[in-house]
Amino acid sequence: MTVTNTQSMILEARIASRQARRRFISQRLTLYLAFAVFALIVLFPFYYIFVSSITPRDRLFTMPPTYFPENPTLQNYVNLSNAVPLLTYFRNSLIFAVGSAGLSVSLSALAAYALARIRFPGRNVVYLALVLSIALPQMAVLVPMFQAFQTFRLTNTHHGLIILMSSLMLPFTILSLVSFVRQIPEEIEEAAFIDGASSLQVLIRIVFPLIRPAMVTMFLINFIISWNELLYQLVFAPLERTRPLSVGLLELNDVMTGGVVIRPWDMMSAMSVVMIIPILLLVLFGQRMIISGLARGAIK
Amino acid sequence: MDAQTLQPAQIQKRRQALSKLTLTQRRYLFAAILIAPVVLLRLFTTLYPFIRTVYLSTQSYNPAFPPQRFIGLGNFERLFSDIVVRESISFTLMFALISTFFELLFGLAIAHLLNANFRLRGLARTINLIPWAIPMVVVAIVFRWMLDGQFGLIPDLLGRFGVEHRWLLDPYNARASVLMVNIWKNAPFAAMLLLAGMQGIPHDLYEAARVDGANWLHQLRFITVPLLLPVIVSVGMFLVIWQIAAFDLPFVMTGGGPGFATTVFAQKIFLEVTSLNYGYASALGMMMVFAVIVIGGVGLWLFKRVEVSH
Repeated sequence: MTVTNTQSMILEARIASRQARRRFISQRLTLYLAFAVFALIVLFPFYYIFVSSITPRDRLFTMPPTYFPENPTLQNYVNLSNAVPLLTYFRNSLIFAVGSAGLSVSLSALAAYALARIRFPGRNVVYLALVLSIALPQMAVLVPMFQAFQTFRLTNTHHGLIILMSSLMLPFTILSLVSFVRQIPEEIEEAAFIDGASSLQVLIRIVFPLIRPAMVTMFLINFIISWNELLYQLVFAPLERTRPLSVGLLELNDVMTGGVVIRPWDMMSAMSVVMIIPILLLVLFGQRMIISGLARGAIK
Repeated sequence: MDAQTLQPAQIQKRRQALSKLTLTQRRYLFAAILIAPVVLLRLFTTLYPFIRTVYLSTQSYNPAFPPQRFIGLGNFERLFSDIVVRESISFTLMFALISTFFELLFGLAIAHLLNANFRLRGLARTINLIPWAIPMVVVAIVFRWMLDGQFGLIPDLLGRFGVEHRWLLDPYNARASVLMVNIWKNAPFAAMLLLAGMQGIPHDLYEAARVDGANWLHQLRFITVPLLLPVIVSVGMFLVIWQIAAFDLPFVMTGGGPGFATTVFAQKIFLEVTSLNYGYASALGMMMVFAVIVIGGVGLWLFKRVEVSH
């Protein structure tokens, strides 16, 4: 009686463990399948634009399209740099992105320290105003900004564009940095004050080095956002000397030949690749930092 | 040793006691200097242009056709009879709401994948970051190329299964295409924010549920969604407000066409600004701000409700 009971229990346990294992394997399979589908959907457009950019022009305009590169060539890139001032556009994008990210992060660091540590009157009002101002669409107040730019002679200048763009990114950057400053134990600063350091010394010698990782993170995020900006340059900088890659790409899009729009997909795909390479490099090297920075700014 | 460390502290204390007021005042002054650049910059780019926009919206003003004159609510009356405005508002609302719904849905699914414990998780998270980081201009152009009526890859692929569609030339298909591309671009971003919220849910809740025999659907229904609801609502509100002002994607991908089928409200404003109809463009800008305030209000109300119920 007891013997058969134990035997059946062992049998049951065996069946259960086999079922559990089968379930585990099928779960793994589903997981990896889901990953494959996800990766394919996300990455395929980039694969295709890259293949298009190294496909000879005459092969590009045929049916069926080229799925796998045959006779890869860099001719499209050569044609592109002959047709548009590619280097100037690239340089302009770089100046704009580095300038906007640099200005935004340095001003935000100053303000974030004040907002996180000093209980000055009106602090909550400033904080709330910053949060609310995120919601104001840049498009809605374009006209007065355009007039102000003409008055102050900021149209078609790098510094004018940088002022606008960094201002757009300030609230989010400040919120992120404030939450970071608040994580630093206040005792470190108190100790420095007791040792006779001034407010400015504490800020520069102690706080800035401590929040440097967060500043680098926010610089990366701000760089990517400004690199991708289109509207501001479209409206406030129509001339070539400040035109970035984003507007240059749009310009190719609108090429007219003899009254018919013929889109130069060979050059457009080459330019798209030129524009995404710096971003892909930043994502590959800074993904951990970028994800934590975006999440911190959003959740708070 | 002890006396040495105490002395500066005592001096500091005495100094504080002597001029406590000036010290706090000095601290306030320091704070004011630190936040002044930010406040000035934000006032210059938000409050000032906002007040000017309110003023300009009451004016009939086109620098090419002077004079500028006051017409009260004239611009707003015109706005309600403008067929392009009506069409673009309805498409923009549809665009923002449908996009947000699917971004949250797919975002939740992707966040589950990114939260699962498997060897390629790090790679999956890196891949997930790419659509957010890539310029919208490039995304618009890549998909325009893939949907091209003559040489596009998607019509070719679907054609092999006998599906023939004119993607960007038919009004409904063009709208659907813009929506799909927008969801493709933003769902991973939503996933990233949702994932951050998910990581805050204690793991033993799932363990306990599993012991009680709950399958993954139960876990989703009774643990993940309820605990994540405040995050879902705030991310959703952010997505709606953000996409009410969307411009780059339809502008580059379809140019707002065919006809005005994919013209979003932001593009309508852009068109009026570039045709120098400054008064009318300002009135349209006011409408956009109004929409954002209403949606933000509804969102806050929803957020308070889901916060209280926990």
